[in-house]
Amino acid sequence: MEQEIRRLEEEFQRDLQNAITSEALEALRVKYIGRKAVLNQLFAAIPTLGNEEKGRCGKQLNVLKNKIASLLDERLNKETFQEEKIDLTFPPVSIDRGSRHVISMVSEEICAIFEKLGFAIVEGTEIEDEWHNFSALNIPLDHPSRDAFDTFYLDIPPSRDAGKFLLRSHTSTSQARVMMKAKPPLAAISPGRVYRPDQVDASHSFMFHQIEGFAVDKGLTFAHLKGVLLRFARDFFSPDVTLRFRPHFFPFTEPSAEVDVSCFACRDQKPETRNQKCSVCKGKGWLEILGCGMIHPTVLENCGIDSKKYQGFAFGMGVERPVMLKYGIDDIRLFYENDVKFLEQF
Amino acid sequence: MRFSLNFIKEILEVPIPASDLVSLLSLSGMEVEHFEKVEEDWVFDIEVTSNRYDWLSMLGIAREMAACLNKTLTITYPALCKKPVYNDKRIHIENSKDCLFYVGRLIRGVQVEKSPAWLAERVTHCGVSAINNVVDITNYCMLKWGNPLHAFDADKIEGDIFIRRAKKEETFVGIDEKERTLGEENLVIADAKKIIALAGVMGAKNTEVGPTTKNIFLEAAIFSPLTIRHSRRAVGLDTESSYRFERQVFSDYMEYASMEAQCHIEKYCHGMFAGYQEAGKKPVVAAKKITFQYQHLNNYLGTIFPRQKIKTILSHLGCVVKQSGGRITVLVPKFRFDLKREVDVYEELSRIYGYDKIAAQIPFLPPVVKKDEPYEFKKQLKAKLSSLGLKEIITYSVESQEESEVLVNGPMITILNPLRQQENALRISLLLGMLKAITYNVNRSREGIRFFEIADVYMKEKSGFREKPFVSIGLAGPAYDFFYLKGIVAEMMKCLDIATYELKEESTPHFTNALSFFVGGVAAGFLGKLDAQTKKKFDIQQNVLFAQLDLNILRQHASLKAYTHFSAYPAIWRDISIALRKDKAFKDVEAIIRADNRLVCGWRVVDIYKGKDVALDHTAFTLRMFYQSQEKTLTSQEVDTVHNAIRENLRLQDGIVLR
Repeated sequence: MEQEIRRLEEEFQRDLQNAITSEALEALRVKYIGRKAVLNQLFAAIPTLGNEEKGRCGKQLNVLKNKIASLLDERLNKETFQEEKIDLTFPPVSIDRGSRHVISMVSEEICAIFEKLGFAIVEGTEIEDEWHNFSALNIPLDHPSRDAFDTFYLDIPPSRDAGKFLLRSHTSTSQARVMMKAKPPLAAISPGRVYRPDQVDASHSFMFHQIEGFAVDKGLTFAHLKGVLLRFARDFFSPDVTLRFRPHFFPFTEPSAEVDVSCFACRDQKPETRNQKCSVCKGKGWLEILGCGMIHPTVLENCGIDSKKYQGFAFGMGVERPVMLKYGIDDIRLFYENDVKFLEQF
Repeated sequence: MRFSLNFIKEILEVPIPASDLVSLLSLSGMEVEHFEKVEEDWVFDIEVTSNRYDWLSMLGIAREMAACLNKTLTITYPALCKKPVYNDKRIHIENSKDCLFYVGRLIRGVQVEKSPAWLAERVTHCGVSAINNVVDITNYCMLKWGNPLHAFDADKIEGDIFIRRAKKEETFVGIDEKERTLGEENLVIADAKKIIALAGVMGAKNTEVGPTTKNIFLEAAIFSPLTIRHSRRAVGLDTESSYRFERQVFSDYMEYASMEAQCHIEKYCHGMFAGYQEAGKKPVVAAKKITFQYQHLNNYLGTIFPRQKIKTILSHLGCVVKQSGGRITVLVPKFRFDLKREVDVYEELSRIYGYDKIAAQIPFLPPVVKKDEPYEFKKQLKAKLSSLGLKEIITYSVESQEESEVLVNGPMITILNPLRQQENALRISLLLGMLKAITYNVNRSREGIRFFEIADVYMKEKSGFREKPFVSIGLAGPAYDFFYLKGIVAEMMKCLDIATYELKEESTPHFTNALSFFVGGVAAGFLGKLDAQTKKKFDIQQNVLFAQLDLNILRQHASLKAYTHFSAYPAIWRDISIALRKDKAFKDVEAIIRADNRLVCGWRVVDIYKGKDVALDHTAFTLRMFYQSQEKTLTSQEVDTVHNAIRENLRLQDGIVLR
């Protein structure tokens, strides 16, 4: 009998070691101390033993029964309250998030900078007429100065006052729209799609985005134009950039300028040591970002504003180019292919 | 425009190295796009903006350079010789609007041969090919003065010279040996029998100066810029000559250019001047006077402009300046057609002085123009849609009419001068753009195709057109079904606080299971699942769900979402298993639930199942009902009372079987 008790205990210890789930532990409980368990069979055999043996074995059986119960409880508790140890090096679940298109995001970002300076956002329409796209802006319809503004014309019957209809070739159209409606003082920023018949390649697209900004009031000066654009450039690119204003010609501004921003990628270098291979400025040190000037008095007059009383400035920039510079994107077509691999990066 | 520094040095002393010139010129307005050393010369390539025709000549460039170097350019003009008058041929100008003035010089006994090295170098370094001494001299003088000249072989001109419009279908073979058919928009130079030049654009092969030429007729003229522009556009030509005529040439310099060319031909080609003839009238350019106040200049630029610089800068540019008190009067040189108003003078002053010397200031701009509501609305909607897990895309607004018509019916606004047939009409729906974006990604096995776009569509209408903003949503992939799309639309309406909208089943071409969307009783778009045929056309296998909604209508009904109070107590749920006969719809179940508004706070379908125990004409699902009170935690009994009442109402309904 005593031998059997020892054997039973050894068997239990072996089983206990092999049991790794709570179900297995439960099965052990049934097997060893359940109603029909081996232990109970041994208890049942006790009356058949000799007196001395009876007492000793009964005691041993009780000890074993308690021991099994407590070992099982202990293990069961451990299984229940201690979480399984897992391999934390497994890969993460991939999260598919929503995203903004980088052009529309940056466009909003740029507008927000100008909003803070007092400009109000005004969107124009994409279908425009010759008057708003050209004549009002001092661009004669049949003149070499128009060659820079090749335009898509539309099969809409022309208007007697405003000429043929077209897809706007720049957002400057909103200058005329706003000035015709509101009286100075005014300051507006106008983002949107524009269209030009350009063959599509890595740096050209027949549809792209522009932002036009302008302000008209008494006493606005060229110095103010410089200040507003500098503020923008430092907010948008980097607080340590500088601007370079190069005289240029636009029919709708006088004086006019093209504006370069100092390269924000290789800015720490002096011109002599500047990295000729700088991937952003190609060693030039400057990046052309926009055109601007004092609104031509003829434009003000065309829109019914007294140019003797009021002065204004205007500027226009593409969105694609600064985005390409800022994010190092080398092909304009990426913006319109809408590849998930591209979209999810922003 | 290319120019040679050695050519400039014939006219102006340049005391600084070529590399220093580059930034000096660029920062004062003459942008140097490229420069390089060619033999002993420096060749510059500059951008000439359309207002500065005068930079198409070495004299103009030299004058600009002189001003930048704080110098005055002195020009040596050749003495004009107009005698003897040559009477053999007469010059007839058909219309003085096309040609104001025409000058011919006859030079006899020339020897046509290769140019001397210096001459060939001058023209080639300015981007013009060297041909022979006569042609190179005409080009040299054009480059120097800015006025195009043309030399004809005088012996090949038959009879008088006519400056007239071409007749319909008249042909012309230029010195480029290409034949072109002309029309009435072309101005030509002709003799009694044939066309000898496309006026101001290109000479004809038939009178070209070659090795056998002995006598030369040298042409100089003032043509109408517009006439030349239309003429050269009609034949698709753009030459050194037409480029200059189109931008206007200066008539005083025309005579000097012609005279200098004659002198050079005499000197270098051994010719003898034999006669002069002119037709028309030399245009008289009136000298313009511009007056401005010194104070206004300062108020315009926002700086104190150094007074003594005004006279220096302007006189270097060729102006005569008078100052009396604060009033400054500028006599503009005749060759500067672009200086018309005081602001033009301000630009000349500020660009030579240096834009960098004007210190930046921040203006106070009072907020006056009202915020653009549509913009703000779109901005917020974009933020919401991306927060719903959608990716914003931008697709072309211009598309192929043919491709578009397959998908959507309706008149399209077409482009009269399309670049390619792929882009010849303005879209009336955002569907094609979306499908193209989906196809592009499906072809590359991309996942997560959940897109939205906010853009305008363009409607052709009886009285013109209308441009309207829309939002489109496109989903593709096994994870998305119609109810996912419906969920996005529902969530979007929640964001816009549009509580009541209607969805009506309506058959929509190219879609199976489409719902029309109504708000305030107005149709504002649709949502649906693309049908198999259309998917096949775009080579897409996955489910494609698409919705398109009118933003103007949504905006009218949207409002700023106010906070809604919610219960602090837990919701308790009970499930009901329902088999719904197929002639009934889920909305019938909803109607019964809605009828009892006690404690019900929401419901959800948690399981739809098919199996042996479900009759074929029934749909079986589990409906989970949620109950909640605003005042307390509900007891089981309270929930059961309401729940059982609803169960009973459902049970009594024909077509609903509780399981």
